[in-house]
Amino acid sequence: MFQNFRLSMAWLHTWFGLVLGFVLMAIFFFGALSVFDREIDRWAIPESRFAPQPMPSFDNLLKPIFADMQPGKADLDFVRDKVNGPLPERFDTVVTWGAYTTHRDPVLNIFAGYEVPNAKEPDVTVFSSRTIDPRTGVLFSDDQLKIGSGFFYPLHYSLNFHWMNLGYWIVGFSSLIMLAALVSGVVMHRKIFRELFTFRPKKSTQRSALDLHNLTGVVALPFHFFFAFTGLVIFAGIYFPIGHTQMKSLHDQHEVVEAQETGLPHDRAGVAAPVASVDAMVAEAQRRWAERGMAGEVGFLTLRHVGDANGYVSVYRAGTDRIALTGEGIHFKASTGELLREDPPSTVVASVNEFLTGLHLQHFRHWMLRWLYVLGGLAGCVCIATGFIFFVEKRKRQYAKEGSQNGRIVDAMAVTTVTGMLLATLGILIANRLLPASLPEGWPGRGDLEQYFFWGTWVAVMVHAFLRSAPVAQGKINPAWSEQCLALAVLAPVTVLLNWITTGDHLVKTISEGYWPVAGFDLAILVGGILAFIAARHLRRKGKGAPQDATDFADAEVQHG
Amino acid sequence: MVNVLLAAATVLCVLGFAWLALAMDVHWKQVRNDQPSASTAKVLRVLGGLSLFVSLVLCLFTAHATMASLVWVMLLAASALIVAFTFTWRPRLFSLLVIWVKATN
Repeated sequence: MFQNFRLSMAWLHTWFGLVLGFVLMAIFFFGALSVFDREIDRWAIPESRFAPQPMPSFDNLLKPIFADMQPGKADLDFVRDKVNGPLPERFDTVVTWGAYTTHRDPVLNIFAGYEVPNAKEPDVTVFSSRTIDPRTGVLFSDDQLKIGSGFFYPLHYSLNFHWMNLGYWIVGFSSLIMLAALVSGVVMHRKIFRELFTFRPKKSTQRSALDLHNLTGVVALPFHFFFAFTGLVIFAGIYFPIGHTQMKSLHDQHEVVEAQETGLPHDRAGVAAPVASVDAMVAEAQRRWAERGMAGEVGFLTLRHVGDANGYVSVYRAGTDRIALTGEGIHFKASTGELLREDPPSTVVASVNEFLTGLHLQHFRHWMLRWLYVLGGLAGCVCIATGFIFFVEKRKRQYAKEGSQNGRIVDAMAVTTVTGMLLATLGILIANRLLPASLPEGWPGRGDLEQYFFWGTWVAVMVHAFLRSAPVAQGKINPAWSEQCLALAVLAPVTVLLNWITTGDHLVKTISEGYWPVAGFDLAILVGGILAFIAARHLRRKGKGAPQDATDFADAEVQHG
Repeated sequence: MVNVLLAAATVLCVLGFAWLALAMDVHWKQVRNDQPSASTAKVLRVLGGLSLFVSLVLCLFTAHATMASLVWVMLLAASALIVAFTFTWRPRLFSLLVIWVKATN
């Protein structure tokens, strides 16, 4: 089909990169934001703007809250068609209670799972989750959207497109293609070392876009590769769902055998039993971690078969001192507090898996590494965006000659996924600050409305990008680029201003108090706005200026096949 | 102490890449008007490689090896970008790094 390997790689890189680049752009950008998801949560929910808290006392604070919990309507909707007959009024058989926190969480996430009577299949569990203030036990309203961990983060791995789990599959396929794009990109790139440090903005747009594409692709190559790869590893269970399909019986049997080996009961005994002091068990777990010289904050606390003689309590530490996602779990008999098991050191294969997943999920405490991850993610965005620009620049003369409209489509989609995505992001933040705390009866929830604003903004800017794209067919710049940059430059300070007006947290206050989660996010938005302003001015000047000279087009074309 | 070590590792990473780049004719010419001699280029490459290596060692003193090596790999990316953009907009800054090399003509 092609004369040589390099040309076939170029074809693969160009066309798969173009189609899936639009998805990858969102994955990279919202992944970069997710590095600071908990901090963005605090920006979005002003009541949660306090310092991160350790796991609170179970006996005094958590236990009564758990005991009061019941699944809500949305939780029940998940299981409604999995039962014969109606659902009960109350769920009393607790499968599990759990509380989860990290070194960056002021608030605490708790969840409870209940057995569902008359279920069509065994093991159907209905879950309910809450967010609480761990200092007082006060519940946060379910309506308050955690924009970081509850919207941007799931957008990163599922596009928030949950119908038939299709979002996960699109993201997974894009990651796979990204690995192929990285390999084919390296194959195509003939001067990978000679031009490692090369960026020439004064040359033609085509040449400088390619420079930037190569630069951001190559210097962060290990990052790009490992994040695409580990992302696939993390969701391997979704992409190869054999455990719940072909090998279901083996999987279920394995659970039983494993329970026998570990001594942690798989099922309820059917005999009621009280829960002993969980705080004492947590203290004992921390003593054992300290003996092994490990940081001893509790990250995850879970009770199984609550209220039953077979009930047990598992305490996992927050592994902030390691990349690997470890917990060094210690398990106790719930009724007596007797030690049942300490997780043994991981096997080699398990350690590799823990390292790969931990590398991506970032439970470690290392702020510099976090920022470097953000840089890696943004480098990925620049790489993809310049790929789009190169695609259009390279073909624009030919398109103009043929009167083809293809360039307009690609360019408008590029506008939508670059500046448009940023505007949508500001859109949800602005909606978050402007919507009233309580909405009239019959309206959608506040959190839902914020999401509608996000998607609404994105659709609106997409329409704008397409409507303004006519000049692209003549080989000129789409004015939507500079207009949307200008919109960003205006809306970014507006967002920060709204945060000040609605919460009283202005930058002078947050910085002088050292409250970096909010100050940092405000600053990042402002820096984004300034960059957008510079870009807008630059684009405007370029739009007015004479057409570029074509001296180095040939060079770029040869290189890119 | 950890912050000092990380700062030093960052500086060494940038220096390392800058020296490696200066060993290439294209980038040398952005800084000086002459050509680097073969021996100078070799010295620059050794110096660059050594700096990157010392940077890794410094990182290893700051955290668990798995975390430290990850920090270093990401630092490589950040420093390469810094070096590339410095060559684009302020190449003369790097003349300080080769101040000890005498002009050849």
